[in-house]
Amino acid sequence: MARSFRDAAPFPKAAPVFLANPQLRANLRGATTTIRTKRDRLVAELADFESMRQQAEAIKNDALGRLGDLLAELETNVQAAGGTVHFARDAAEAREIIVALVAAQGVDEVVKVKSMTTAEIELNGALEAAGITPVETDLAELIVQLGDDLPSHIVVPAIHRNRREIRDLFLARMGEHGLAAPDGLTDSPSELAAAARAHLRDRFLRAKVAISGANFMVAESGTLAIVESEGNGRMCLTLPETLISLVGIEKVLPTNADLGVFLRLLARSATGERMNPYTSLFSGVHPGDGPQAFHLVLLDNGRSTTLADPVGRQALRCIRCAACLNVCPVYERVGGHAYGSVYPGPIGAVLAPQLDHVVSDPVSAALPFASTLCGACYAVCPVRIDIPRLLVHLRARVVEHNQETGPHLEAAAMAAAMVVLASPRRLALAERLFSALPGGALRRLAPRLPGALGAWAIARDLPPAPAASFRSWWSHHRGSQPAAASQLRPTAVLGLLGARLSRPRRATSVPPTERSGDARHKILNDLATLRRSAPVSSGVPAPLPQPARSALETFLERVAAYDASVTRVGPGEVAPAVQAALARSGARRVLVPPGLQAAWLPTAGPTCEQDPGEPAAMLERYDAAITACAVAIAESGTVVLDGTSGQGRRALSLLPDHLIVVVSADQVVDDVDQALARLRPGTPQTWISGPSATSDIELQRVQGVHGPRRLDVIAIA
Amino acid sequence: MQIALFVTCLTDALSPSAGKAVVEVLERLGHEVVFPEAQTCCGQMHLNSGYRREAHALARRFVAVFSRFDAIVTPSASCAGTVLEGYRNLAEDLADGELAAGVEHLGATLYEFSQLLVDVLRVTDVGAAFPHRVAYHPSCHSLRVLHLRDQPLQLLANVAGLELVEHADRESCCGFGGTFSMKNAATSTAMMQDKLQAVTEAGAEVLCSVDSSCLTHLGGGASRERLPLRTMHLAEILAKSRGSAPVH
Ligand code: SF4
Repeated sequence: MARSFRDAAPFPKAAPVFLANPQLRANLRGATTTIRTKRDRLVAELADFESMRQQAEAIKNDALGRLGDLLAELETNVQAAGGTVHFARDAAEAREIIVALVAAQGVDEVVKVKSMTTAEIELNGALEAAGITPVETDLAELIVQLGDDLPSHIVVPAIHRNRREIRDLFLARMGEHGLAAPDGLTDSPSELAAAARAHLRDRFLRAKVAISGANFMVAESGTLAIVESEGNGRMCLTLPETLISLVGIEKVLPTNADLGVFLRLLARSATGERMNPYTSLFSGVHPGDGPQAFHLVLLDNGRSTTLADPVGRQALRCIRCAACLNVCPVYERVGGHAYGSVYPGPIGAVLAPQLDHVVSDPVSAALPFASTLCGACYAVCPVRIDIPRLLVHLRARVVEHNQETGPHLEAAAMAAAMVVLASPRRLALAERLFSALPGGALRRLAPRLPGALGAWAIARDLPPAPAASFRSWWSHHRGSQPAAASQLRPTAVLGLLGARLSRPRRATSVPPTERSGDARHKILNDLATLRRSAPVSSGVPAPLPQPARSALETFLERVAAYDASVTRVGPGEVAPAVQAALARSGARRVLVPPGLQAAWLPTAGPTCEQDPGEPAAMLERYDAAITACAVAIAESGTVVLDGTSGQGRRALSLLPDHLIVVVSADQVVDDVDQALARLRPGTPQTWISGPSATSDIELQRVQGVHGPRRLDVIAIA
Repeated sequence: MQIALFVTCLTDALSPSAGKAVVEVLERLGHEVVFPEAQTCCGQMHLNSGYRREAHALARRFVAVFSRFDAIVTPSASCAGTVLEGYRNLAEDLADGELAAGVEHLGATLYEFSQLLVDVLRVTDVGAAFPHRVAYHPSCHSLRVLHLRDQPLQLLANVAGLELVEHADRESCCGFGGTFSMKNAATSTAMMQDKLQAVTEAGAEVLCSVDSSCLTHLGGGASRERLPLRTMHLAEILAKSRGSAPVH
């Protein structure tokens, strides 16, 4: 049975348990250090990173400011493209909708793409309860699922595990769920990735229904964008007959062009890559290519309430890159589980309490306090969410709730402090009282005291009390007379010193969402009201400067940096280059799409067969595929396929283990924005940046998981 | 130049020597320091702990006390950050236009100590001597709220005999975090121990910062662990005069 965070302890109680685990501390430190270094290097490569952040922030603010309209536009366009759109007000509604959709297909197994949103609604438990086995196909999610574990990171859910632990888990548990791990499996990340490939291959090929989330949705074209590395996402998005995508309503962007800045920011911020290996774009149903039934479930679950808070709403800009987790010194020490929430780390500490109405439960109410406000998160966030400010804002909501609901020890201590701090005379007196305390005795006693003083003293000595405060030194040596004693009750000072710091208590919960009525109507109506009452400010996006180098040179260099093979040929030399590439991989059966230029095909060697058009899973029997492309991107070393002539359906470039892409020089553009401008919106697109890969094991990039393990790019110059 | 000192409640009560050092250095450079005795606390603890109403009262008090000065110096980067950024957010949240105007004015007059010296007074050599191995801990609020660059390091570089030692993860948080240090004491001290380890491994005898709060926390840990490490505010090091005239 899928585990949940339901019985988690509040952060202050949970954290010490994780702090005491040296293996976990070492795993987290190693992984976060690796990813921080990579991210910093790749961000430094972009001269316009700051203006990209501002542009991304402005686009999101604009979208959030007219969310209702955009959702209606998205709905229209998804439906026009053959999809069905469902609205879910809360987790329970979303679970009901999805379980019913799966059950209607009469299957007892679904394949899943990694999705935080399905974790948010605890979908796996609901599927299991309905007799449906959810198969997590992302390597890290598979590790979590095999270990009956919980995710501890947004991008790399098994970041708390090291390679040795993963090897042991694979050996012990894979056999219970399907193909067992091979005997003699070592802890080399590439062997572990290969074991996952073998274990899941057959599940992909027989799957009838897949469930995904999405990174972005585009209102004007009804497009969903799904960003991944391993190819498991592409398997789920293209092989099954039915696809169900659960997406938070805040993920909608107005236009196709808006995608550009986010695709540029996301991979660099998330995994420290120029571009993740695969990005899939699709709109509804594409005849002859991929699932022929598509359901989009749009989830509110606290988002429109969050949007109503003028300070809190900026958390909805989040693109779940996890850069804030990777730089967070608290996260690095305690890991994700200590937060007791599907969304851990800095963003979790500001998002989870809002989706959960802050004061309604002790775990949520403790999260805004689980930070030193060091600001490292804000400094890296690609959409400039001022997390420290949000934390302070949410702390105020917790405190104001505590103050309203009766006597509270911390509030009393803070009030006592105010008595002192509101008057320089009383402050001077308190300082004199403090200097007069028996410092040595107090120091020795402190670790055994309850409350704030005892907590301070668990590993820190109290500071020695100075003979006199600055104020009294000044008044004796420089200034006027010492401040006269006023009527400060000593009890106020003692109260301040001894007061136990609060633990937020259980409070009356917010009334549950009304279950009756039309969810679509309610969500869109609420958003329309919000729009009238509280527009989100937005700025005009700044134009991006263009890179100066030769596009083709940069492109080839960056493709090669992904460990893909790169060959430059003259116009008449494609066929021999293809032949040589096939010889290197030893491919025997070669697949080609309709419309591929005949002159590119080798005259000797294996014969090339045109896609026979049978069920996509049958393409598994081919060793290699050759395809043209629609456009190529220099900045990220990416080729984009859009299913037009010479490229074929999406499964063609996915199932054969060796992919050869032929690019002509005039197809290479500088950056993602230019590529988007050339592509036709609404087409099924696959953006490929290197062979399939994963960074799920200790954040080390390992090549070759579910997609082609070998990529050849042949450029006609 | 007349400079008003905002000493901060924590420095006032716990580290008065840092406040005295600020006075000494500025006077040595020929400036007049005044101490508005009506000052108490900027409200950082209340503000950052969620006590907005209380913080608001202290913010208004701060503005009333300090708005008449043309230059204000404080030895605490986090208190300066509270005034310049925290108050601005508070004014926005509580729709207090008067406070917003006050903050706007303070933006042009309030400086953290090293900022005042390097950016305003254009001094990087204050005539100090301190023959010790010193590690500098750039406090989070100095880096990411005030956006201090290398002002403290420029000042330390000109201290005669001082050897600046580099330590691992210099820019990572020491774990203090105000009431975080008590509410989440175990996490706070775990971060502190990593910081102390990095600093002692680098061979520092003295750990220096521009925030007395971080130093109280780190110093308390060093004392508990009996490390051969002292904590000193930047001003305390700069106050150690080498007896020769400072270079302006
Ligand atoms: S808050 Fe910012 S840094 Fe953190 S996951 Fe979201 S987008 Fe990334």
